[in-house]
Amino acid sequence: MHTFEFVRPKDSAAAVGLAAQTKTAQQGAQVRFVAGGTTLLDLMKLNVETPSRLLDINRLPLSTVEAAPDGGLKIGATVRNSDLAHHPRVQQDYAVLSQAILAGASAQLRNMATTAGNLLQRTRCAYFRDTAMPCNKREPGTGCPAIAGSNRTLAILGTSESCIATNPSDMNVAMVALEAVVHVQGAKGPRAIPVGDFHVVPGNTPQRETVLEPGDLITLVTLPPPVAGSKQVYLKLRDRASYEFALASAAVVITVSGGKVTRARVALGGVGTKPWRSPEAEAALVGQAADAASFRKAAEAALRGARPQSENAYKIELSKRCLAHALQTAATV
Amino acid sequence: MRDDSEAPRKKLTRRRFLSTAGSSAAAAALIGRATAAGAAERGSPGAVAEGPGIEGAVPVTLRINGKEQRLSVDPRTTLLDCVRETVALTGTKKGCDHGQCGACTVHVNGRRVNSCLTLALMHDGDEITTIEGLGTPDALHPMQAAFLAHDGYQCGYCTSGQIMSAVALLKEPCGAEDAAVKELMSGNICRCGAYPNIVAAIQQVRRNA
Amino acid sequence: MPTTQADSTKSPIGQRTPRVDGPLKVTGRAQYASDFKFPGLLYAVPVEATIANGRVTALDTAAAEKMPGVRAIFQRANIGPIFRSTLGEGFEGIVDERRPPFADDVVRYYGQYIALAVGDTFESARAAADAVRATYAKERPNVSTDLKPDDEPDEIETSFGPVKRLQSVRGDAEKAFAGAPVRVDQTYVTPTETHNPIELQATTAVWDGDMLTIYEESQGVFNLRSVLAQMFGLPKEHVRVITKFVGSGFGSKLWPWTHCALAVAAARQLKKPVKLVVSRRMMFQTVGHRPRVQQRVRLGATPDGKLVSLQQDYVNAQAILDNYHEDCGEATAFQYSVPNLWVAFGRARRNVGSPTAMRGPGAVPGLYATESAMNELAEQLKLDPVRLRVLNEPKIDESMGVPFSSRHLLECLELGGEKFGWSRRNPAVGSMKRDGLTLGWGMAGCTWVAARFPVQASVQLRDDGTTRVACGTQDIGTGTYTILAQLASQKTGVPLDKVEVALGDTSLPEGPISGGSMVTASVIPAVYAAADAAAGSLFGVATGTPGSPFEKRAAADLAFENGLVFVKADGPARGVPFADVLRRAQVRLVTGNGKSEGTFGDPKPKYSMHSYGCHFVEVTWQPEIARLRVNRVVTVIDAGRILNPLAARNQIEGAVVMGIGMALFEHTTYDPQTGAPINSNLADYVMAVNADVPPIEVHFLDHPDMELNALGARGVGEIGLAGFAAAVTDAVHHATGVRVRELPVKIEDLLV
Repeated sequence: MHTFEFVRPKDSAAAVGLAAQTKTAQQGAQVRFVAGGTTLLDLMKLNVETPSRLLDINRLPLSTVEAAPDGGLKIGATVRNSDLAHHPRVQQDYAVLSQAILAGASAQLRNMATTAGNLLQRTRCAYFRDTAMPCNKREPGTGCPAIAGSNRTLAILGTSESCIATNPSDMNVAMVALEAVVHVQGAKGPRAIPVGDFHVVPGNTPQRETVLEPGDLITLVTLPPPVAGSKQVYLKLRDRASYEFALASAAVVITVSGGKVTRARVALGGVGTKPWRSPEAEAALVGQAADAASFRKAAEAALRGARPQSENAYKIELSKRCLAHALQTAATV
Repeated sequence: MRDDSEAPRKKLTRRRFLSTAGSSAAAAALIGRATAAGAAERGSPGAVAEGPGIEGAVPVTLRINGKEQRLSVDPRTTLLDCVRETVALTGTKKGCDHGQCGACTVHVNGRRVNSCLTLALMHDGDEITTIEGLGTPDALHPMQAAFLAHDGYQCGYCTSGQIMSAVALLKEPCGAEDAAVKELMSGNICRCGAYPNIVAAIQQVRRNA
Repeated sequence: MPTTQADSTKSPIGQRTPRVDGPLKVTGRAQYASDFKFPGLLYAVPVEATIANGRVTALDTAAAEKMPGVRAIFQRANIGPIFRSTLGEGFEGIVDERRPPFADDVVRYYGQYIALAVGDTFESARAAADAVRATYAKERPNVSTDLKPDDEPDEIETSFGPVKRLQSVRGDAEKAFAGAPVRVDQTYVTPTETHNPIELQATTAVWDGDMLTIYEESQGVFNLRSVLAQMFGLPKEHVRVITKFVGSGFGSKLWPWTHCALAVAAARQLKKPVKLVVSRRMMFQTVGHRPRVQQRVRLGATPDGKLVSLQQDYVNAQAILDNYHEDCGEATAFQYSVPNLWVAFGRARRNVGSPTAMRGPGAVPGLYATESAMNELAEQLKLDPVRLRVLNEPKIDESMGVPFSSRHLLECLELGGEKFGWSRRNPAVGSMKRDGLTLGWGMAGCTWVAARFPVQASVQLRDDGTTRVACGTQDIGTGTYTILAQLASQKTGVPLDKVEVALGDTSLPEGPISGGSMVTASVIPAVYAAADAAAGSLFGVATGTPGSPFEKRAAADLAFENGLVFVKADGPARGVPFADVLRRAQVRLVTGNGKSEGTFGDPKPKYSMHSYGCHFVEVTWQPEIARLRVNRVVTVIDAGRILNPLAARNQIEGAVVMGIGMALFEHTTYDPQTGAPINSNLADYVMAVNADVPPIEVHFLDHPDMELNALGARGVGEIGLAGFAAAVTDAVHHATGVRVRELPVKIEDLLV
């Protein structure tokens, strides 16, 4: 680990000001916020992240969950994942978020990880995480050894010739299905970013993973008012029963009326280079019977653009079964 | 040439190793503990290795097991390495250093965390509890006693983390059934595979609570 | 020779006994190798090669040396002499990675240590190690998973001495196979597996002049001492190895690894204590692993299920140097009755770290193959697989032509089947269902060698009524502290809470390695002999002390039972507690030494000695989400007398848990481009977690094997893993119709 200066900014404005003193907010940033530290310190130990200054934001007033005036929910950036998952409003109105968080990591990590930190979780790709390996995300232009190498856990959606790294988060998938909004305090003032636009696919700039700019401090994530009568399921598939990243996952928020799907929000995890909202699946669902055949068709639609690698073609079928089963479970709840 | 006896060691009284588990099957024996001449006392800050000061060290005050420790640490020092190396409380273990095994589990403000993935500096003023603060052989925490009675370990290396995790679990939402406990304890890997006994110990404490 | 008798009603033998070291473990007071602190302690971190094949042409350590807190960067030029060790007699000089660290500038596996950073703190040493820059002349690594045997002579060297590649032969297996009406011919593959005990290997090395003490989590302190003495040119008496607790090892801590010599050398050069903790990533290359094995098994049988031919041809991967043999044929030659048999092997060198024994070396992967083949034969024959084992149960060990000392595999099968409900089995694929899930049922038999190592032990009786039993063996989580305490308690009558146990130290009487499930069986005769010798000394004190009630007696008149000395003819009613005898004589303690020979490696044994068992496994299969889980296990073990059912049951359950990992999750994968183990961490190397574990029902038969020792106890550390994966894959086939012959079973195998 490279050494660094450890600073505790006294307020958000100070934090923003200090964080703005870096060339990038993306891979290789010289100044980083630290909240839970579960991603950052993990990568600092590997020298994948080498900030020279750490800004501890844990004591800033960003740690509450409150009702929003529009009936939705305001989630502070440093709310711990475990607190968020167990919050009564979340369990009642945004159950998919609670399920997704509780499916991730371990109890210890959920006690440490924060809302903002989880949004910024980095890929588990073994080549990215090893500075002895070439990696376009870590060092642009050096190549992607995963494409010709070990890629069983890597992405089939949103990939490019430069990068096939999966976004590993569970929480993000639910946030996308719930159409959360990420609120950022920046050097030029505040802005609100729909979570679907927050993460970007690698294209030929895989070192860019979000739309954050230097100085940007996530302060809040808001959830829109709950959709009455919605059925919500998060399903995660993996090799072992717990404490493992998804091979494929699905977050669904659907409304069924008279045996037909009237509203659908679908997002996939474990298969995309970003949390993968699927308007294709949604379009294939709305107006259709809430039955196994429709669910399977929606899953086919969701994975139509999938591009498998040498070892992860199984994810196409697995992801389809995952989505279909999540929908089936939601419909029968 | 060394003789057959062990190196000078601190005189251990029998009482130290008696289990107060209360179980009729519980028994303990004296285990000769070799500590080499000059080995430091456990857990006292003055026992830190002598030597030059650490360049770039930063002060931090940690409350560990109810005792205030004023320390000076390399900013990169994790809470785990601080507890083990700086404060010499070696009951907490390092199994992977990357939050993937749970052996380093301690309580921060009453909540279980992986101490390897957080910095000592981040916890100035926080209440930290390690396995040493939970109980002693003469005054065991009920969870420690339950692990003894149920043989909730084999090699014992993951045990500190298992027990710290289990104690914290008592205050977390958790269904009554074994499956719920197994899921919530899955962040503590036991390669010896003592999981069935670990679950039995935890469930016993939950039933008696 | 005076003997002590135990009153079996008070004896702790066979009782559920909480571990005597338990209080230390649950309070964090048990000290493992990296838990010791010394004034002036320095921290060492190795630098790992980032190629798998080639040479280091330059090492730039200038920047690293200047970093804060750095004491030295060691490499070949300045580490000082580290000599090669050589294999000795018995358990001396055994090493799986023989090349001393830094011996040359050649790199033969990814992660090989090429330098060592030493600093005042772990952080400074770690940062310095990362700052060392190596330049390489790189060549293509060979980590190919297609194992074809290298060209080797018929008799080859292994870590333990020469072995014939044609391990066992009788009759004409090829001819009998060709003529057999029913045939199975399949190849089974077990991947590279890594032990991954939770404890990171570590060495803390302390020199005092030319006396060396190391704290290491070794499974063999005496062998380690012998190797270090050779590597550093020291008399053995100048080296002391201390291993009070081991955070498990599963074989990875049996033999010395290169980090140990590096820590010792650094401590020597710097004249300060040095601690080196191997990182988890390093644990995937530099401390051994179970190598990949490919096994072709050919079975020939009659239509009613009698085996006429068994051929097992296997290849194990090994490192570029060294000579590891994964003895997959170990159990094959005797486990089944078959007149024509052929077991032979080859090895294939790869650019990987040196393999080493991993829990149940040889027979665990070997039985996976042979038991899987038997299950496939049963399917072909449309025969119950249990019945197939019964039909081919041998009456004697057909490879050695000697009887079994004690073999109750049939009883295991019967009990296991009954407890599991096997009679309700419907063999049709996918035919059994419960709660909307498809069930799969499978079974397999297993066996594991039973033997003793030579042992020395001592027992002291003390004037405060306590006893101390000492033996330089180790407790790796198997419960050796408690076994020794139970034995001493039984022989001396001292209650368990007054028994002190000393182990894990080369200053103690020489004890056996903790490997092969042999420690318990081995220590029994030595501890008994030591207790008897202590009693002898006690009698000497009793009869030689003026004023003693036994003053006018001869030692031969006396007995020692349940802590009391008494005249045999009078019985124990007027016995005197031994503490009183000693105090009257102003004698603090008497010591008895005991010694026993080993049976391991006996070329002409009278009996074939093994433990046996079987597993019955139920899996659930949910095709909608391709979810396969082990749901229920019944395991029956015939391991002789069980000295501590509490710890023994835990061992079997733990082995079954590891078996779930072996069958469903575990594999170390090498990146073909770089040769790096690409999943060298505990998130990507998937092992069973708590949520994976189903109810496991364990039954022990109670047939003491009196040929092995006076209590009839064999070992239980490894047998629980043997055969398990074959039971799982047969269950998987029963549920899904998919026959997986390369472990682990993966989701992608089942998505068809």
